[in-house]
Amino acid sequence: MEYIVSILPTLLSGLIVTGEIFFLTIVLSLPLGVLLAIFRLSRLRVVRDAVATYIYVMRGTPLMLQILFIYYGLPLLPGIEVQFGDFTAAMIAFVANYAAYFAEIFRGGIQSISRGQYEGAKVLGMTYGQTMRHIILPQVVKRVLAPVGNETITLLKDTSLVYVLAMNDLMRMTRSVVQRDFDTTAFFVAGVIYLFCTFVLTRLLTRLERHYAVYEE
Amino acid sequence: MACIEMHDIHKSFGAGEVLRGCSLTRERGGVTSIIGPSGSGKSTFLRCLCHLETIDRGTIRVDGDVLAQDTPTGSRYADAATLRRICGKMGMVFQQFNLFPHMTVLDNLMIAPQVVQGRSKEDIRPQAETQLERVGLYAKRDVYPSRLSGGQKQRVAIARALVMEPEIMLFDEPTSALDPELTGEVLKTIQRLAEEKMTMIIVTHEMNFARRVADRVLFMVDGTVAEEGTPDEIFDRPQQERTQAFLSSMIGER
Repeated sequence: MEYIVSILPTLLSGLIVTGEIFFLTIVLSLPLGVLLAIFRLSRLRVVRDAVATYIYVMRGTPLMLQILFIYYGLPLLPGIEVQFGDFTAAMIAFVANYAAYFAEIFRGGIQSISRGQYEGAKVLGMTYGQTMRHIILPQVVKRVLAPVGNETITLLKDTSLVYVLAMNDLMRMTRSVVQRDFDTTAFFVAGVIYLFCTFVLTRLLTRLERHYAVYEE
Repeated sequence: MACIEMHDIHKSFGAGEVLRGCSLTRERGGVTSIIGPSGSGKSTFLRCLCHLETIDRGTIRVDGDVLAQDTPTGSRYADAATLRRICGKMGMVFQQFNLFPHMTVLDNLMIAPQVVQGRSKEDIRPQAETQLERVGLYAKRDVYPSRLSGGQKQRVAIARALVMEPEIMLFDEPTSALDPELTGEVLKTIQRLAEEKMTMIIVTHEMNFARRVADRVLFMVDGTVAEEGTPDEIFDRPQQERTQAFLSSMIGER
């Protein structure tokens, strides 16, 4: 027990890095995902195809490869040659990747809303933008809550991928403690911390679902 | 000047020509029933008027303003602002109600004035409540649509359209999705609008209602207006065999 208390500050400092990546990714990739979904359903073929290709690439390659590419690959690319810091590089990769997944979830949600809703709004004089904002998207939120929740929980664990950039997140701190002390207790402690975070997330999602349960379709 | 002018409307979906030269001209205050077998193009004709469908050929004018003008290369529509202004004169009620399920009844009525006209909730609320009272659903103002019966939903949909103060009301089979015992309350609401001299076009399968409410009846079949006249002319003295056959199949057995 004393040992656990002694390693806890180290692990928690890692949890802060994990939390930063997690929250920033959620806050940035959700709106970006909505935007991509709308473009994915655009009337313009060029726009539609461009977004489809983007989503294909983002979902078709490992997130770890994307992180490595942005950090190590971009500086070597002739004509681009930008070197991001490790945190920025990781954020770009996470947001770009998760926005693609969210976009597909939102696209499905938007397409599941019946045409009658668009027509009902149109005959009341609403523009496409107004219809999206006030009629369609609020209903989409309820329908995509479960899959978005899934992705959110996956993201919490995916944050551990930043160890490839030697960032000191919860997972990497844990490993360094294990290697330093030749004691695997830290693995269990880290597992409990991850489980606790997932528990909080699940509770939050349940609350949201209850909030949206006031109406039926 | 005619209030509604639809001239020689043609409309195809893919290879199928749904409207093959339909016309309708009505004065302000006129109530028109459109009857005919399923697939005859009645609903499409109505939907063309409020720009839910785009026509291939023909001319549509509302109060003399051109919504779509026939040209040798097909119909040309007015610009977006004009379309919005013309369509703003029309309210539409659908077979499937199309209420917004994520909003309470009152919010269903208030959302369009807020978003489209930029009015505040406080400003629009008295008007919305008055419309709900008129359709007898003031007590239901804070429930969500899923808690309403079909007939109540449709009356909310009518109230929602009326809050925008339309000059013309369009009804696309307003009772076709309702249980028989619920059609009465909706028809009564529409009947009252007719008595208030609202200009209306009603696509319906309720023959008795079509006759009672309208001062003009269109019988459509195969994408054309086969016969047009006063209710008495159409129902008592139909000139065409197709009209007679249709009417006897709809009311004959009684």
